[in-house]
Amino acid sequence: MLYVERRPEKLIDENGLRTDGRRPREMRPIKMEVGVLDRADGSALVEWGGNRILAAIFGPREVHPKHMALPDRALVRVRYNMAPFSTPERRKPGPDRRSIELSKVIRNALEQAIFVEKYPGAAIDIFVEVLRSDAGTRVAGITAASLALAEAGIAMRGLVAACSIGKIGDVIVVDPGHDEDMWGDADMPIAVMFEDRVITLLQMDGPMDESQFNEALSLGMSCCELVYELQKEALRRPFVFVERKVVGGGQTV
Amino acid sequence: MCSWKEKLWEGVKLYEESIGSSLMKEYMLKELKNGKRVDGRSFYEMREIEVRPGSYTKSCGEAWLSLGGTKVLVGVSADIGEPFPDTPEKGVMVSNVELLPLASPSFEPGPPDENSIELARIVDRALRSSKYVDLDKLVIVPGKLVYLLFLDMYVLDHKGNLADALTLATVIALAKSKIPKVSLSSDGTPAVMNEQISVPVSDPVMNFTFVKIGDYILLDPNLDEEIASDAMITMAIDGQGRICSIQLRKGFFRDVEIKKMYEIAREKRKELMSVLEEVLRVGQETA
Amino acid sequence: MNRSEVYVKDREIVIPGQKIAKGMTPGDNVYIDKEGFLRSALLGLASLEGNKVDVIPLASAYIPKVNDLVVGKIEKISGGTILVDINSPFTAVIVPPRNNKLGLEVGDVILAKVKAFDGMSSPLLTLEFEGLGKISGCVLLEIDPAKVPRVIGRRGSMLNILSSKTGSEILVAQNGFVVVKPRDHRSLMAIMRALEVIQEESHISGLSDRISKLLDTILAGGS
Repeated sequence: MLYVERRPEKLIDENGLRTDGRRPREMRPIKMEVGVLDRADGSALVEWGGNRILAAIFGPREVHPKHMALPDRALVRVRYNMAPFSTPERRKPGPDRRSIELSKVIRNALEQAIFVEKYPGAAIDIFVEVLRSDAGTRVAGITAASLALAEAGIAMRGLVAACSIGKIGDVIVVDPGHDEDMWGDADMPIAVMFEDRVITLLQMDGPMDESQFNEALSLGMSCCELVYELQKEALRRPFVFVERKVVGGGQTV
Repeated sequence: MCSWKEKLWEGVKLYEESIGSSLMKEYMLKELKNGKRVDGRSFYEMREIEVRPGSYTKSCGEAWLSLGGTKVLVGVSADIGEPFPDTPEKGVMVSNVELLPLASPSFEPGPPDENSIELARIVDRALRSSKYVDLDKLVIVPGKLVYLLFLDMYVLDHKGNLADALTLATVIALAKSKIPKVSLSSDGTPAVMNEQISVPVSDPVMNFTFVKIGDYILLDPNLDEEIASDAMITMAIDGQGRICSIQLRKGFFRDVEIKKMYEIAREKRKELMSVLEEVLRVGQETA
Repeated sequence: MNRSEVYVKDREIVIPGQKIAKGMTPGDNVYIDKEGFLRSALLGLASLEGNKVDVIPLASAYIPKVNDLVVGKIEKISGGTILVDINSPFTAVIVPPRNNKLGLEVGDVILAKVKAFDGMSSPLLTLEFEGLGKISGCVLLEIDPAKVPRVIGRRGSMLNILSSKTGSEILVAQNGFVVVKPRDHRSLMAIMRALEVIQEESHISGLSDRISKLLDTILAGGS
């Protein structure tokens, strides 16, 4: 009741700049920090634009209830959750339908990379907590969870990096911000597993014609590659005895 | 990494046993006889308090606080609405604690259980009985329209003594909170102004949690001490050194022990105030 | 003629999915992709020895191996079977010899050896060797199972430094537990700090000397 959103007059101005001053192919600043929690087996905090996403892993560990355990592989479970204070208007705690859907697609995105056959009968529990929401929470969450999985020592084919591509009118834009997420014409989150470059998450909301879609897909993979470079650095950093944070993003694709 | 999943405070059992806890307790008692805690602290010494700089929520006021490794994130959200029927001229304040599953292998996702509810009520009681927040000043139209303050307390990493960490973080978050000013327009409907007002707060209230292991009383238990404890109590001290709320969490204490702990808590509050003042001062500068 | 290529240095930090080599023998935590490249499955250190490539994990859970020494806690006793938690995704089992009571109760902490494990069902433990059985009166410390080799050191050299400098009895189990009978409080603190450093700096050479110096400092009253 206290917070009313108003649609901006223009999402892209006469100079081709977006409402936050970015160019169409410019990403927001990204910071990644691995190992922020002590109790979890692996954890990571990703600051992406105004997003603050905390991902944590427990696993491999025993499955409770026991009857849910799979005899030949690990059970991968994901819980995506938004904190009550993650949005200006408070959200009631607990999962809603959107959170449940996102938990499912995030699970698939990450599961494709995990060597689940290595942990029969065990559970790998992945938690994605959105502390502060600023468009693109699921892709930031997948990016953070990959780091946490690596820190936890879970065997994987490769890291999964993710990002979103949007459309404003006929212009394809990279990494939609809050205004574009609310008022733009299309939104396409995508996750890519490296080094194989296979897509493990792809969703679309809004129409795109063939040429727009091809552009979006190709830009999506390039942006995921940029995110992947930051992930690699974030994982290596703690062992080079430099500060644990990696600052990047803001690049133009 | 090693854990057995047992429910918190079920019967007399401990909420989480680490494989060494029985051996650890034996060893702890040996060291306590020599006047030492296993982590090197003295009996009434608190662990280091750190507030993480930066913004991690979209709330009106927040604090990411670490008490010796226990990490909590508290966000204050504001709204307007009807007051509670029995307090028509007071603003509404609601506390909620989430024991996130990522904070400990023993926390399971789901609706609040008796432990998160108890913690929320412990913090709430300390705030209310100390009148830290002046709810009288959060009224817009008496009996009809008041400010609603939601205190959402997230536990991110459980390394012992959640109550004290959550209370401290909540006090800081409230002190930094700025809520949109609401006035009445000429036709009586509420209008949100561009101005912001600070949440009206007074002297900080602080919670102090003690445990008893054998015959020894310790302040600010770490995780191992909490697990090994025979008894646990939390008490809140206000700006005038009065004890404004108490919760006996576990086990039993003698009256002389409780009086002694009150004395210690009063002393500790003075020490902690300078830490808190520094944190709030830095908070103003970076606001 | 087998042409092999290597893309990383020995002891280089590698990430999951990173190409390590081609045409060499894959060892632990290494997988072969469709094009025949050897890739790391973990965040770890590449280990190149002769023609073999392994990745040493920087952190991982304990997967039992036959003959491993483990510390476990008795979880449940039903019928003739004793279930033991060994801090692993696999719960272990002891089948006591017939007519020979082991005198164990739920909650007891034991030292045992892994007798059999097929990689899928519960590992079988045995207490039939000298020194195995219930332990008490010691302190139990937990370390990353992947760092156990580093804590023991080549031919037990690191363990020797820890134990002789602090005058304490120390035993390292493969599943990440260190059983300590410390000489005194300061020795225990020294051991705990040394273990922290060993785990953090396991990949930097000259560790033994650093640990030696660290122990000297702490035992003399510094920190």
